[in-house]
Amino acid sequence: MALGLDLGYLERSARGEFDLGWLRNGHSEWGVQAKPSKTGLTLRDIAIGSYGEVPDHAPRRTMAPRGSDVDPDVPDLGYTINDKAEVWSDNVLDLYEEAVSRQWSATRDIPWSELPDLDPDLEHAMCQLATVLSEVEMVAADFPAKWLWRINHDFVEAKMFLCTQVMDEARHTEVFRKRALANGGGLGRSSAVVERFLQLILDAESYDEGSALMHLLGEGIVLSLFRAGEFLSPSPVEKKIFRLCMQDEARHVAYGTMHLRYRLDRDPSMAEDFHAYLDKGEEIIAMIFATPEIVEPTAILAAGGVEQASELGTAAGEVMRHQIIGEYLKRCQHAGLDRRGRLHLPEALIQGVPGAMAGAEA
Amino acid sequence: MMAPIASPFHSARWFAELIASAKADRLAMEQLGIADLRLGLEIVDADGPPHMYGIVLDGYDIESLGEVMEKEFAPEVVVSGPADAWREMISSIETNGSADAAHTLNTLTITGLPFSVRADDAMGHDKVFRYMGTLQAIFDAAGSPAQVSTGR
Repeated sequence: MALGLDLGYLERSARGEFDLGWLRNGHSEWGVQAKPSKTGLTLRDIAIGSYGEVPDHAPRRTMAPRGSDVDPDVPDLGYTINDKAEVWSDNVLDLYEEAVSRQWSATRDIPWSELPDLDPDLEHAMCQLATVLSEVEMVAADFPAKWLWRINHDFVEAKMFLCTQVMDEARHTEVFRKRALANGGGLGRSSAVVERFLQLILDAESYDEGSALMHLLGEGIVLSLFRAGEFLSPSPVEKKIFRLCMQDEARHVAYGTMHLRYRLDRDPSMAEDFHAYLDKGEEIIAMIFATPEIVEPTAILAAGGVEQASELGTAAGEVMRHQIIGEYLKRCQHAGLDRRGRLHLPEALIQGVPGAMAGAEA
Repeated sequence: MMAPIASPFHSARWFAELIASAKADRLAMEQLGIADLRLGLEIVDADGPPHMYGIVLDGYDIESLGEVMEKEFAPEVVVSGPADAWREMISSIETNGSADAAHTLNTLTITGLPFSVRADDAMGHDKVFRYMGTLQAIFDAAGSPAQVSTGR
């Protein structure tokens, strides 16, 4: 039926003759009364009765709130992600609440006025690292934003979590841009290799592919970079920046890991698809491990200067690389995707990482 | 206002007082946000068996469970290190009011030395990083000169 203005209704309602069909013919649950838990009224608290039942396949493609009575004339909004397993994770309700409660401000919460003058080499290194991070963080907003409008509204909790990620990444982009511009150094260089990895995520043909590349591989690496950043920070100001970003990033990785696990639990035959996605991603990651714009500032910060960087910084870089790869393997394993022995990384990069080499024991 | 920690490190009472100090600034802790973590803090004395103290973060609540047996407590993640390194960290906090650059929890755990992070799975392991700000704030609550006995 075409929608049109019901002039008759305007006249009837003006006379006090209400329709009240919405009131009398409702099928949604009357009497439902969610009780707040100790942190307030959470998504888990309201996941009760039929409202808490998330369908494996969305019955319609509308923005109608899950559990509401739906007008049969609602239009088809054309969602393309209509299966729960495509976006869900068992921890997504809790991660949303956590994300909302752990927001912070790059303007207010960083003691910018306490940034000390740094040795020019260290300032350059810090600014180059900030440049890279300001660059890569925004893809983790662009990617969810690209897919959000395609995700069926029945999976609204997953959509809401992805919205928090968009906000988190905007703040990360902001805080690293601010750091680059706040102490005399300015922005450094953007590298083609990094952009190629970002392109791979943005051009992913499915949410599955992009999520594996971004949440699991890319953000896992960035989480390790944030940990390293906190460790290498030349002042308490940067330490706080990295500590706050680290928390956000770990949340995104927790979603990505558990989403992949949810996906594979329901369809183990997809494992080879995910292996193929990660094969492609790791090939570019291998190049990132050999990108001067990333490796060298980290080495200089680790060593405390350019002169010492070749020895101390290289050793620190190796420790960090082992940690990145080791933690990535463990997340994949927890998700149900065993990448041990089939990493698409050169032998030189994975030597010494438990379980990373083909045929090696974890 | 932080309450002084009078009990000797390490002991169940020391951790109870640490948590009480952290909770004393309720607003600051709440601003860090909710958390969900069963954390074991393992202190390995040079001689004798290791001791584990349990801390539970549940929403905005923080609870010290005192000395625990790892199997019964079932921590999601354990931060473990030699007693001397723990004492050095606390001394740094005591001296500076909060951990200095060399003694933040992340710095002490990142290479696996002197503190290691162990967990049965990646999700538990990553929770240390997910709540790093909260955990650092808890330890920084020990930070006031002459308020904490480090046993030295």
